[in-house]
Amino acid sequence: MKSIGAILTVFLGGLLIYCSMDFPPWGDPDSPANSHVSPYYIEHTLEDTSVPNIVTSVLADYRGYDTMFETIVIFTAGIACIFLLRMFKTVEPETRLYRHLPTGITLRIAKGGKFPDDSDHFKRIDSDWVPHDLILQTTCRMIIPFIQIFALYVIAHGHHSPGGGFQGGVIFGASIILFAIAFDLRSAIKRMGERLTAFLCALGVFIYAGVGLVCMLYGNNFLDYSALADIMGVDPISARSHGILMVEVGVGIVVMAVMVVLYYNLASAGKQDEGL
Amino acid sequence: MNITVTLLLICGLLFFTGGAIGIIRFPDFYSRLHPAGKLDTAGLTITMGAIALYTLTPFSFEALITALKIILIAVFVFITSPTATHAIIDAGVRAGLKPWRKEIDPDK
Repeated sequence: MKSIGAILTVFLGGLLIYCSMDFPPWGDPDSPANSHVSPYYIEHTLEDTSVPNIVTSVLADYRGYDTMFETIVIFTAGIACIFLLRMFKTVEPETRLYRHLPTGITLRIAKGGKFPDDSDHFKRIDSDWVPHDLILQTTCRMIIPFIQIFALYVIAHGHHSPGGGFQGGVIFGASIILFAIAFDLRSAIKRMGERLTAFLCALGVFIYAGVGLVCMLYGNNFLDYSALADIMGVDPISARSHGILMVEVGVGIVVMAVMVVLYYNLASAGKQDEGL
Repeated sequence: MNITVTLLLICGLLFFTGGAIGIIRFPDFYSRLHPAGKLDTAGLTITMGAIALYTLTPFSFEALITALKIILIAVFVFITSPTATHAIIDAGVRAGLKPWRKEIDPDK
């Protein structure tokens, strides 16, 4: 069996390498990729869209349809994760751990005991006992706002520098995951609940597709942002630039929400009760 | 000014070298994190300070902004790097990793 696998691997690998012989050499100016659309993008991006970053304009304007479905792939991943992992029946753990904050004593409350409410005195902790991590929590409290501001900067500055919706969304999602790691999953869910994340997943795709639809309502093609010039009161070229920004915001919201959904479900094995 | 910048850069690189050697030479997890956390932070702070000084040499408003951004990098690394080391060591203790001790093996 192993030898058959080895033969197949060698055969398919050889086939792949043989096929790659037919590729044009790297950086060949006469290759199809370099002779049809690329020169157009490189020469006309600035006058078409007034966006200095060619990558952003190709991604969100010239090839906006493609990026919309990339966004939908991410959305689908988040939804699939919810359906595969989320346990909708809540299973209460038999024992719970509480920390008495003024003294630092950890209490284990067995099944049938009375659970105290979360207050200034008692705080529920994960069943895998966690120590006081004051240093970690203070640092995260200090750093997370800066991470989020940087994420917004990356989203908004995709026009001029490397960045955009996907990267900024990932940074924003990472800041919330950092919060969930440094504190615990419950306090993260209390701040950003399951309903909100699911709603944001859908909202981002809705923004993207909605911008395209508005363009269509104004008589242009789907995702041809120059139609938005009338609404925004600018000329068609800067309308394309602003349209890219609106679409990027939608992408950022989807990516952020899906990151958070994936973390919530994977870290708690779908129970969304305690984890990591 | 260039001499100051060069001296600071050499100083910072010395810290980095010490950190790299320390990570290889120290005997166990906890002691390896000691050079990784401390010397890298010190090296990065000094190197970034040198670069900020170098940017400032023909003084202008733009140069000041750039230098402030570089200093901001140093500040964030100064805050986060020791915290990360602290968290990793905490995780090691919770996972039950025993610190290394220099003792003679009783079986021999």
